[in-house]
Amino acid sequence: MATTTDELRIAEIPTGIDIDPVTLDIIEGALKSARYEMDAVLFRSAMSPVIREQHDEFPMITDPRGRMVVGQFGAYINEMMEDWDQGIYEGDVILCADPFKCSASISHTNDWLVLVPIFHSGELVGWSSQFGHMMDVGGRLPGSLPTNAKTIYDEGLIIPPIKVVERGEIQKPVLSLILNNMRNAAMNRADLFALIAGCRSGEKRVQELCDRFGKETYLVALQALLDRTYAAMKQLINWAIPETPQSFEDYVDDDGLGNGPFKMKLTIWREGDHAFFDWSGTDPQAMGPVNFYLSEGMFKMFIGIYLIMVNDPQILFNDGFYPLLHIILPEGCLLRPRFPSALGCRTHALARMFDVLGGALCKQAPEINTAAGYGTSPYMLYSGWGEKGDFFFAMEILYGGIPGRPIGDGMDGHSWWPLFENIPTEYLEAYYPLRIDGYTTITDSGGPGLHRGGNGVEKRYIYLEPGQVSIHDDRWLTRPWGVLGGLPGGRSEKILKRADGTEERLPSKCDEIEVVPGDMLVYRTAGGGGWKDRLDRPIEVVVKDVSYGLVSSDYAKEGYGVVINADGSADEAATAKERERQRTERGDALAFDYGPPLAEVLANCKAETGLEPPIPAVPLRWSPLEPGDEAQLRVRLADNMPGDIVTA
Amino acid sequence: MAYRLGVDVGGTFTDLFLVNDDDGTQHRVKTPSTPSDPSEGVLTGLTRMCETAGISPSDLRNIMHGTTVATNAVLEGKGARVGLITTQGFSQILHLARSQTPGPLAGWIIMQKPEPPASLADTREAVERMGPRGETVVAVDEAQVEQIVKDLVESGVESLTVGLINSYISNKHEKQIGAIVERLYPDFPVTLSSDVVPEFREYERTLTACMNSYVRPQVQAYVDRLDVELKAAGATCDVNILRSDAGLMTTREAGRNPIYGVLSGPSGGVAGALYVSTRAGFPNILTFDMGGTSTDVALCQNGEPTIGRDTTIGQFRLKVPSINVHTVGAGGGSIAHVPELTKALRVGPQSAGAEPGPAAYGKGGVEPTVTDANVAVGHLPSSLLGGEMKLDVEASRTSVQTIGDAIGLELDAAAEGILKIVNENMAGALRLVSVQRGYDPRDFALVAFGGAGPLHANAVAELMGSFPVIVPPSPGLLCAVGDLVAEFRNEFAQTIVKPIEEADPAEVKAVLDDLGTRAQDWMTSEGIAAGDQRVTYLADMRYVLQGYEIPVTVDIAQVQAGNIAQLGDQFDTLHEQLYGFKMDDAAREIVNLRCIGNGAVPKIQLPSGEVKANDASDAILQDHEIVFDGKRIPAKIYDRSKMTPGAKFNGPAIVTEFDSTTVVLPGYVAEMDEFYNILINPQA
Repeated sequence: MATTTDELRIAEIPTGIDIDPVTLDIIEGALKSARYEMDAVLFRSAMSPVIREQHDEFPMITDPRGRMVVGQFGAYINEMMEDWDQGIYEGDVILCADPFKCSASISHTNDWLVLVPIFHSGELVGWSSQFGHMMDVGGRLPGSLPTNAKTIYDEGLIIPPIKVVERGEIQKPVLSLILNNMRNAAMNRADLFALIAGCRSGEKRVQELCDRFGKETYLVALQALLDRTYAAMKQLINWAIPETPQSFEDYVDDDGLGNGPFKMKLTIWREGDHAFFDWSGTDPQAMGPVNFYLSEGMFKMFIGIYLIMVNDPQILFNDGFYPLLHIILPEGCLLRPRFPSALGCRTHALARMFDVLGGALCKQAPEINTAAGYGTSPYMLYSGWGEKGDFFFAMEILYGGIPGRPIGDGMDGHSWWPLFENIPTEYLEAYYPLRIDGYTTITDSGGPGLHRGGNGVEKRYIYLEPGQVSIHDDRWLTRPWGVLGGLPGGRSEKILKRADGTEERLPSKCDEIEVVPGDMLVYRTAGGGGWKDRLDRPIEVVVKDVSYGLVSSDYAKEGYGVVINADGSADEAATAKERERQRTERGDALAFDYGPPLAEVLANCKAETGLEPPIPAVPLRWSPLEPGDEAQLRVRLADNMPGDIVTA
Repeated sequence: MAYRLGVDVGGTFTDLFLVNDDDGTQHRVKTPSTPSDPSEGVLTGLTRMCETAGISPSDLRNIMHGTTVATNAVLEGKGARVGLITTQGFSQILHLARSQTPGPLAGWIIMQKPEPPASLADTREAVERMGPRGETVVAVDEAQVEQIVKDLVESGVESLTVGLINSYISNKHEKQIGAIVERLYPDFPVTLSSDVVPEFREYERTLTACMNSYVRPQVQAYVDRLDVELKAAGATCDVNILRSDAGLMTTREAGRNPIYGVLSGPSGGVAGALYVSTRAGFPNILTFDMGGTSTDVALCQNGEPTIGRDTTIGQFRLKVPSINVHTVGAGGGSIAHVPELTKALRVGPQSAGAEPGPAAYGKGGVEPTVTDANVAVGHLPSSLLGGEMKLDVEASRTSVQTIGDAIGLELDAAAEGILKIVNENMAGALRLVSVQRGYDPRDFALVAFGGAGPLHANAVAELMGSFPVIVPPSPGLLCAVGDLVAEFRNEFAQTIVKPIEEADPAEVKAVLDDLGTRAQDWMTSEGIAAGDQRVTYLADMRYVLQGYEIPVTVDIAQVQAGNIAQLGDQFDTLHEQLYGFKMDDAAREIVNLRCIGNGAVPKIQLPSGEVKANDASDAILQDHEIVFDGKRIPAKIYDRSKMTPGAKFNGPAIVTEFDSTTVVLPGYVAEMDEFYNILINPQA
């Protein structure tokens, strides 16, 4: 990294020293505990319910070279510090909230990323870092995520890497400039210091490990852990990635400005021990804020996690395998948008990326072959001024149907994001002018399958003060697909039932919806797709779903061929007949079932959803799409991977 | 003569410990547990105990009892069929839970969701709604509620829970529905969520209340049977049950709110360890209770356990006051393995259990366990003093060799590796209850008990810097000792959720006074003399909009004088201590006010002896050899029963006794104190 500091000494990783396997495993365990401790410290002291209750935050510890040794999203230190010229000292804390200045390690301005250099006996031995979603970072709308943003300048304060603490001294002017732009400065301040407290605990643990084992041993262990993951991934790549290119595509429905749907296409193939992941064929970037600036490192991490999850889930996820993966992202596509594109509502494309990745990997690796889920991060935001003139701002992330899985049904109304939780109704009602009329899952919204897709969520918000509401959701148009004979899950929808008795459909992405006391928003998220043949689902399991109210009797017959008697039991003879009839009618089960073809979906859009269909997007003049073969050549050169250009 | 009996029912053994309060004499009995009806084992033990001590059951003044009936019902999923009544719109509260899936990313692919204690088919919505300020939004529809209650009870549920939104702020609607149940079905077990946990967060409160209903019929039946059988045997005294927070409750209370005793077992161990260590002059301890499949650890400061507001059992997070015991899946039976993909050495969480058990037990086990590693390095001599079985050293070595082969190490190194990994796992648990909560483990002694605790304690203490290691006499019986030394305890709480600046000192005083009165009334009703009653007050506080509270001790005299501002300063200090920062621009909020009533019980006197310096040579059984740092070195085996206070000897040494084996490593010195504890310290 470029630094002008004359003092910074970066610890060298010693070579030629062997580490005994037991010490290695001990250091691995200690790093894992350190990472969970970082979480625990943050949750207990943060204020924003999005971090604390919903756990929208991600910790990491790196080696001296900035490679992640434990964490979730992969390292970003080197890209971030490339142009750094303000020195790095013990006690520093660097803050960043600019996706374009950290290689997209954070993907919108709401994520505040904190970086703490870790020193031991005067040398830099690593970094501890954590980022979390701030409730608000200023700008035009509370929440800083306008659904009609056209550039990043609509999305609140853009903070380049900057020191908020230098050598232990809080930089008050910097902090004051930042917090002056926030609607609820106290909350941002608390959450920032909570992030710092989390990083400090990681720092402390690393220093203790250096004390205990000696700095050299510690560093050798880090390299060995990276090597271990490298070796493991090499095997997995050979096992899971085919040499023949294999493609999968899916869509983000719209961009909040009426454009869409946006195709995302991934082609994967293997050359020796190396794997290529090529996003050519993905649509150009959107005018609206649904662009997802995909960090290469983060994407490599996602691939690794998918592959490793089914093998040795105890393994420490780290950057070790990065050199084995080559990511092709054409400049100007939805996943590699150019500055200054709007990025706020990137969770739809982020979630879809996993659907596409899973789809592309799945033929070769049946163990990780799951269906698609609710496929986004549905938000509800509500703000206004209360009776006494006090500003209020509530924000909640909702969940939906988890895909049907090899291990069993998809969970109903659960979070697809790891460790996220819902906000207690009693918390919402105690602090905001809201009443929750009901919080449940939507009967029949899970895609039928041998293993059923999870049901989507229905949450009914009654607003008690005049204010404005925003909604962010997707999968209102295209369906979460099912696999190997499973059907797609149900789509999302929003109905605003006005206090005056009228009712309207709201789009899945909208802002500044004026509400008055007594208005009720019925927020329904999408279900998950089913896994394997729905007509093979054991009859008693369907009967149980019906008795639980998760599947209706009618849908038991339509979706599973199970005929339910008036007393709730199954009519076995009628069921056998019905299943036989449906099997004949259907023929072979589909490998992927998306529901009706896209053209038909668009044609029926208004009739089925009450909303106008999106219009195909026009490429932006200021961001032409880089052709796929040029992008591939660029990556082959940069990664030193000569070879012919491969096309899907 | 006044006799007190402590009874701890564990998974394998039922331990009994009898003390004569008049002269301090004591007796121990160990008898196999009887899982199908644990009271059988208790009765068998009691009969044997009376024979041994030469007394009759009517001589017993108190029976204090730690039981795992509730724990096992939850862990084995064998509780009652529970009916749940929720607020309209919330019938899927347990089904949705907190919507969480495990980490890391894609953790949902392998998540196994547990069945909640009340099924959706047995859940009904009541027409009613309470607002967040305790105001009725929709009144209880009595006719509708009667209908759903009848519907549930007639359908065969065995126990009912009422869990309504906002009942933490007003329990009016829950009480009303409870009264309807009582009217329709007198004496039908019904649990109100506001009775069990009067705190906010509807899911956790409802879950905890349902768990109470889930274990209630079984615990009720058990305590009833125990009462009847003890009376039949001639015992006339009360039986008290140990709570998860190491307080005692009556069997009546245990039958009504059994969930308070869900961690009764581990809390007995902590109470026993505290008693032993405080007496030995070490009021700050880490407890280390290592058994066959898991290890329980806890931190205690100034002679007091740390008591948390929640606990995890199985996959469920329950809101019951509990000693902060952290459990890790590492024990003597934990299996070592080497995953093909990474070639890393992993130990546990899979366990060989009692059947087939470690290879050394010769019951058909072949997989290498921690016990086998202990045998291979010589920490467990082949024939244990007083042990019921001879250990099969060769079988152990063969099993450990498979690990050596997989990872490329010699047998001795593989065995030491397994021990190091498992020790590290357990140290991780100790770090969690100490460093992660802002305590320095070097300020704490380590009390080792349970079957395997003393085997590993020295090595674990070395990792933590926690000395001395205290190994009490009969470490396997410490839980029963804990049952005897526990005090009566109950908590009374009221949620208020108010910034301290807005709180009216008079109101705070009124709430605390009311809680205090309830605590005193409760103690009086339990027959605790006024002089033995102790009342302490706490305020759970946080910065406004934070979601977790820190308990702050309330100086009641200050509050009675009208001062509550100091609570804010105390909170700031604690917050800074725990998280490294405080907030000057954020309001500080009182969430709950709590009062804890403690009723003292007479202290038992365990034996002590005069300290006479000696070198323990009289207690040496034989010469021996252990593996240490890859080398085989000579060691001595001692018989603890022949050791006297003042005995002092250097490691490496193995000390054997009736139910346990203690390892003293090279570089350490062990000494027996006047209370027959073995204290291990680094050599000067």
